[in-house]
Amino acid sequence: MAIQEVRVMNKLDFPDTIGEALLYDIHHTLGITDISRVRTAKVYRFQGISEDEAANIANRLLAEDIFQQFSINNDNLLQGQLVVEVAYKPGVMNPEAASLMKSASDLGITGIKAADSSREYAFFGPGVSKDSIDQVLKKLLVNETIERVVTVKPETLILEGKLGVTEIIPIRGMSDQELMELSKDTLFLNLEEMNTIKKYFIEIDRDPTDCEVETLAQTWSEHCGHKTFRAKLLVNGEIKTPLLKRLQQSTKEANHPLVLSAFVDNSGVMAFYDGWAICGKVETHNSPSAIEPYGGAMTGSGGVFRDIMGTGLGARVIASTDMFCFAPPWMDPDQIPPGCLHPKYMLRRVVSGVRDYGNRMGIPTNNGSVHFHPDFRAKPTVIVGAYGLLPEASCKKGSPKTGDLAVVMGGKTGRDGIHGATFSSGEMTHRTIEVNANAVQIGNAIEEKRTADALLEATEAGLIRALTDCGAGGFGSAFGEMGSETGVEIWLDKAPLKYQGLNPWEIWLSESQERMALAIDPEDWIKFNDICTMYNVEAVVAGKFTDDKMLRVTFDGQIVCLLDMEFLHNGLPDKNLTASWVLPQGAEAMPDSPLDWVEAYCQIMADPDVCSKEPIVRMYDHGVQGSSSLPPFTGVMSDGPNDATVITPIYGKNYGVVISHGMNPGLNNINPYHGSIWAATEAVSNAVAVGADPSELCLIDNFIWPFPDEESLGALDMSVDACVDFVKEFGMPFISGKDSLSSTYRGADGTVIKIPPVLCISAFGRIKDVTKTISTDMKKAGSAIVLVGQRNTSEMAGSVYCNILGIKGTNLPEINLEILNKVFQALHKAIVKGKLLSCHDISEGGIASALAEMCIGGNMGVEVNLPDFENPQNFLFNETAGTFIVEIESESMLPELFKGIPYQVIGKTIAERTIGVNLENRELFKVEIDRLKEAWKAPMKEVFGP
Amino acid sequence: MRTDGINCDNETFYAFRKAGAEPKLVHVNQLRSGQENLADYQLLVLSGGFSYGDDVHSGKILAVELTSFLKESIQEFINKGKPVLGICNGFQVLVRTGLLPDLKLGQINTTLINNNSGRFECRWVDTRVEKSNCIFTKGMAGSIVSMQSAHGEGKFYTDPEQLKRLEDSSQVVFRYADSQGLPTMNYPENPNGSLNSIAGICDRTGLVLGLMPHPERFVEIHQHPNWRRGGFESPHGLPIFINAVKYCQEM
Repeated sequence: MAIQEVRVMNKLDFPDTIGEALLYDIHHTLGITDISRVRTAKVYRFQGISEDEAANIANRLLAEDIFQQFSINNDNLLQGQLVVEVAYKPGVMNPEAASLMKSASDLGITGIKAADSSREYAFFGPGVSKDSIDQVLKKLLVNETIERVVTVKPETLILEGKLGVTEIIPIRGMSDQELMELSKDTLFLNLEEMNTIKKYFIEIDRDPTDCEVETLAQTWSEHCGHKTFRAKLLVNGEIKTPLLKRLQQSTKEANHPLVLSAFVDNSGVMAFYDGWAICGKVETHNSPSAIEPYGGAMTGSGGVFRDIMGTGLGARVIASTDMFCFAPPWMDPDQIPPGCLHPKYMLRRVVSGVRDYGNRMGIPTNNGSVHFHPDFRAKPTVIVGAYGLLPEASCKKGSPKTGDLAVVMGGKTGRDGIHGATFSSGEMTHRTIEVNANAVQIGNAIEEKRTADALLEATEAGLIRALTDCGAGGFGSAFGEMGSETGVEIWLDKAPLKYQGLNPWEIWLSESQERMALAIDPEDWIKFNDICTMYNVEAVVAGKFTDDKMLRVTFDGQIVCLLDMEFLHNGLPDKNLTASWVLPQGAEAMPDSPLDWVEAYCQIMADPDVCSKEPIVRMYDHGVQGSSSLPPFTGVMSDGPNDATVITPIYGKNYGVVISHGMNPGLNNINPYHGSIWAATEAVSNAVAVGADPSELCLIDNFIWPFPDEESLGALDMSVDACVDFVKEFGMPFISGKDSLSSTYRGADGTVIKIPPVLCISAFGRIKDVTKTISTDMKKAGSAIVLVGQRNTSEMAGSVYCNILGIKGTNLPEINLEILNKVFQALHKAIVKGKLLSCHDISEGGIASALAEMCIGGNMGVEVNLPDFENPQNFLFNETAGTFIVEIESESMLPELFKGIPYQVIGKTIAERTIGVNLENRELFKVEIDRLKEAWKAPMKEVFGP
Repeated sequence: MRTDGINCDNETFYAFRKAGAEPKLVHVNQLRSGQENLADYQLLVLSGGFSYGDDVHSGKILAVELTSFLKESIQEFINKGKPVLGICNGFQVLVRTGLLPDLKLGQINTTLINNNSGRFECRWVDTRVEKSNCIFTKGMAGSIVSMQSAHGEGKFYTDPEQLKRLEDSSQVVFRYADSQGLPTMNYPENPNGSLNSIAGICDRTGLVLGLMPHPERFVEIHQHPNWRRGGFESPHGLPIFINAVKYCQEM
């Protein structure tokens, strides 16, 4: 069947923004300056229609005559010196294909069997050669995991394959070595676990199917089973409670009145107002993002949104957050280990992924951060969070009843993400990209959006008995867990497939995105299906819930998996792990004062951890849903960054949800206990700084750790202890969390790179009246500037200032939680009373960066008088979290507002746009705000373009 | 009207409700199946989002769907003098159906293309309301309306003759403005490089309005990023919705 090719390009006198953006990167990222022009064309292919029909589609759908021209079956439209076409690899679903088919059919052209789209690039200029374009393709255009350069035209667009088969794995006769060979690269189970499986099948006297082995491997994966967090621990010779139990115990003891559901559902749920509840979930998506950052970040966002959609009996997603750690974007490519991508490429692609998914779903991404450390060169940390709103009455996880239908809704199933759960639990190696390429896919946000729309309507109509999302482990994980109390039977041949030729176990474990698993009362099925049809969402009955506590999976009537739920969920042998951690010994960091204060100040502002992330934030639609009452940036020029975001999810009400987070991977390397206290303090400080009530906040933990060898596990143990101590002091519970313990890289040459251990703490809570919240931008000249909170300024280790100077040390900030508790209370009261004009918490870059950001927002300046007894560089650059800069109209209010807590007036705001610092009545230095601002904005402008 | 990928429907719904309307969210499938009838409504809103993923061109797939299946009912709606509002993706749909600028279904004379910056951007912009007979901005000419713009394909573009016709017949309703309130081509005040700083246009009758920025995101004071700095007596977007409701009440 012939394929018609349509090419569409902008008319020659018309700009081509895609070509221009690529040209900018060719010049600035690759440094190839003698390529002078890039033009692009979109290529559409249709199978099953005539050339005339293709022309009709081109005229009415594909090309807009005002600015575009097209050609049919003519591959020389662009007339470049060198033309290349970049397309998705066959099998990678192109979300545009479905729209092409739909729209052509709307136009009355119905014979299309398949459609696809791709893009052609034409290069011009003296520098165009096979070599230079190869570089462009390799470094800028093509990610070989999902894309390819089209060299031979496709003969067909229809993906076909033969019907799947089920294999028997002769596990009962396998030696230890054979078991490990089977586990390697796909199952990621250890020998003891493999032997447990072998023993089970010896007992039931048969060999398993591939489907059964895969099901066990994925249920028992670190990703799903949290084996390390559940393990019995021996820490420095002392037996300690398993990590997860410690965290959950502390939540239980905190007994927080607002908590509705903690650690049992897809997200943690707390009470909101007027019968509503809010929920939050934060996920990591490091492994997929490391090999295909765009698709990885997209599916990360998509997955965490589905966690919210699948909370209770269904929630509306109201916000999204993103926290990343990368190596510095300007790192020398030679330093990037084999099998790893360059951080600049990754950062840009990850941002694009989060952007495209969140924006299309219509979910505001309004809180986040980016952190940099060279050791993330082997594997980035990509954290995405989501928050939701749901009725309190349906906020508890539902349970299926025997006889309920097992229903699948949303996207179709393909070979996407096979082994995602097991793979993300494995370490990153130089082989990762080759072996696990099919663990990544491109998300389809629109599919998820309509699924969310349909789901909300079905939830409102009370048609859902239980639901969960299909994430890691696909149907296997979703139904395996849902049916664990009853038993469930799944008919895999009913699942809608993207293409034929999948093995049953692949259908069962595929991690294709945008799918939800539900239990529906048979009586409600028709109503439910009608809603889905209205929203263009496919739903099928794919099985039923039984009463035999067995997991029974069939394909065309043949049993492909029959496992006892008890063995599946509780058969995993307990791990016993040994941990040890020795605090690093070493000198204290005692940095000298800079020779040039202004220069040092600018360097602080330009540090990648401090610098403005505005270009990233602007690419996210942070205002959709019309709910923002404290956006990421405010101020005269709308470029002053805020500490947290506040949204009003119920229209017409002033009820706010506050969302913030804190993390500092560098500090965990020095001391995981105090680094973790710092992260939690920072998260809560960010929320309190905008007006959150500390007694109405809940926390979410994300541990992203190197592979838990003794040392790393020891560090993890201390980090968890820090979290528990924090909960004890503040009564603020963790209600959701996730661990990802695979951030170690092993190269072929024996190189081992451990990424810095990351603890990301997210805080969210409720605010009764958003009109009683404040921003960081300074409001008027003549106000008093006050430092609030306790700090020991000599604790300089891990600060940006020391990092810039290359000074290491062990004296990191140790936060006094008892005093901090009082500071939080006092600050909150002062904000609610409306006494503070602006407030900014102190973090990376210390007072120096906090003041500069407040001045940038307010488009004004400040005059600071250093206390006599202070060492100026420590005073300005110390990074003790839990301390704040506040702007207050009159000093006279201070004694009453901040009674019993440490505070000091350090200066006043001025109309002149400078920061002047005086020591002993003498000017130490004075710097223009514009100069600081330029330094602060430069780094991300360089990464993301002008 | 909703369909796959429309995502500003709830806040637009609220803006109309606050302005006194009784809005309803209707899926395009309900109109196609006849379960809902356009004729039963007084005003049609195409709200923002990424209809069908903005595949091919922003708003294109929905525009083709509307012109293929709802041509008659839309024509009848227009003939009866009922207003139509398209915000962001809705504006993109309106130009791609041909309803803007000349109420000619199927005839595309203006377009909205990739921002000059080449990327999606979300930022607040000031727009100046121009003198026109647009019913949505009645009594607002000369005022500055602050709104959030959030799009990747918002550059208004057409050929010089068409542009002149639009200007001559006062069909430009909103222009991006600088801090002095004057139309600007400077980035980022003009966030996308739109010709003649055009942020929104209407047809000659003034009943069909399309604009890129989002008035529905500023119907409460605290939706503005700088409400804490004062200077806002009332939310700037709300009068647009109130005008629409008033017009319908008097219709």
